[in-house]
Amino acid sequence: MKGALAHDARVVGALGRRALTVQFRRAQLLMPTFVLPLMLLAVIASGTSAAQGLRQFPDVDSYLGFVVPGTIIQGTLLGGLTTGIALAGDIEGGFFDRLLVAPVHRAGLVVGRLAGTVSLAVLQVSFFLAVAAIFGASYPGGAVGVVATVLLGALTAVGIGGIAAAVALRTGSLSLLQSIFPFVFIFLFTAPAFFPRDLLLPVLRDISSFNPLTYIVEGVRGLLTGDPALGHPATAFAVAAALALATTALATLALRERLRTT
Amino acid sequence: MTALTGPRLLVVGALWRRSLNEVLRVRGALLPATVAPVVFLLGMSGQFGRLTGLEGFPTDSYLSWVVPLSCLQGAGFAGAATGANLARDIEQGLFDRFLVAPVPRGVLLSGPILGAITRCLVPATVVLLVGLALGAELTGGLVGLLALYVAAAAFCAIAAMWGIFMAVTFKTQQAGPLMQQGVFLAVFLSTAYTPQPLLRGWLADVATLNPVTHVLELARQATVAGIEPSLTHTLPGVLALAGMGVAFGALCLVGLRRMGR
Repeated sequence: MKGALAHDARVVGALGRRALTVQFRRAQLLMPTFVLPLMLLAVIASGTSAAQGLRQFPDVDSYLGFVVPGTIIQGTLLGGLTTGIALAGDIEGGFFDRLLVAPVHRAGLVVGRLAGTVSLAVLQVSFFLAVAAIFGASYPGGAVGVVATVLLGALTAVGIGGIAAAVALRTGSLSLLQSIFPFVFIFLFTAPAFFPRDLLLPVLRDISSFNPLTYIVEGVRGLLTGDPALGHPATAFAVAAALALATTALATLALRERLRTT
Repeated sequence: MTALTGPRLLVVGALWRRSLNEVLRVRGALLPATVAPVVFLLGMSGQFGRLTGLEGFPTDSYLSWVVPLSCLQGAGFAGAATGANLARDIEQGLFDRFLVAPVPRGVLLSGPILGAITRCLVPATVVLLVGLALGAELTGGLVGLLALYVAAAAFCAIAAMWGIFMAVTFKTQQAGPLMQQGVFLAVFLSTAYTPQPLLRGWLADVATLNPVTHVLELARQATVAGIEPSLTHTLPGVLALAGMGVAFGALCLVGLRRMGR
């Protein structure tokens, strides 16, 4: 039993390392996950910072620090999608079929892929926080808030990666995964990613309460600012964990379905 | 400049049709270029709609403020896709066959650019219709609408030239993200979110220098109440488009001349 667990852990580790290596070997995959969110952060932080003059806008130390949670969530969304794209690429290229004949637990193939997503998300979130800090963002939540943000980002990326992996396993289509890129922004923009929830337009504010990312982005904001009025970290972790569990199960079911039908 | 007469016109027409065939044959080919700007339109207006409450904002409808931006974004993405398609033709060897055709090299680019302009009408119109359906106002009337479409079509042509320049320089489809993100940066490093007086920090300086700021002003004559159709709002945009057209057109031709040497 213990030996089997160790074996599965080695498989998950190896697949996770491979997922990360492939990501860094193909620089064009890094562009959307690392560069695009920072570009959007730069233009939003500078383009909308006059919003601090609005009544009801919370009193925050740094506007950049207030909007960076939106960038973190965008990064996890794109990182998660990249997981699906890479998996679909493996399916189309035939590599995944070779994995299927290996003497490993099938769920390990999904978890291994998601382990790569966790590593990528840790790098992404740390990178975003560091770059934003260089450009003047402050994090009154301190080191604990920053570390908890990295963990929350990684957990969220697993949740998003699980959805993308489920779509990839269900369809096996690389082009489909690539074309859903714009739809990712629907999840981002229906959460209070860059603006306080109270200042969203009424329709969007109503919709945002159904989007799990709302609670996660507000939780990140609460962690980084150290102000629980801006978001509840415990709720955020609970939502992210539930999302990760549900979507990993979904991806595992999609894998079973794939094995049954192909 | 190459005169477009007789057989050359036939070549332009054939390549124009070929680039349009792509849309008809590849199901959903226009989907990303159409969906992304609509998502941005809805997302931005929902997130930042309250910015119109700031003093100095020329309109009280943020949707009206971002509709022209999203039209330009969609047109730009449709244009940049020309570069990705050309890169594919280069990788597959088809463009080498075009290059040995007895026509000036510049003529080979006219068809795909015309195709891009035709294609960009789809995202621009879809974005406009979605915006109007959700409450954006057509304050500029027909003249404003004309300004919006001229801005979108010309910006698409410039984005296509940028994409072509990237394609003939890197000769690989992997340059695709660079083409798209060039457009993204050009559009958003401007008065995308707020008018110039409300911009803060480095973006205020960059937006002043960015010619797309003037193109946006040209397009915003259609829907922004504080930017009425007039020569004052039109001329800078037209000059910016002409300047970018000459610059990127020259880059394309230089890049093409280098090919095969």
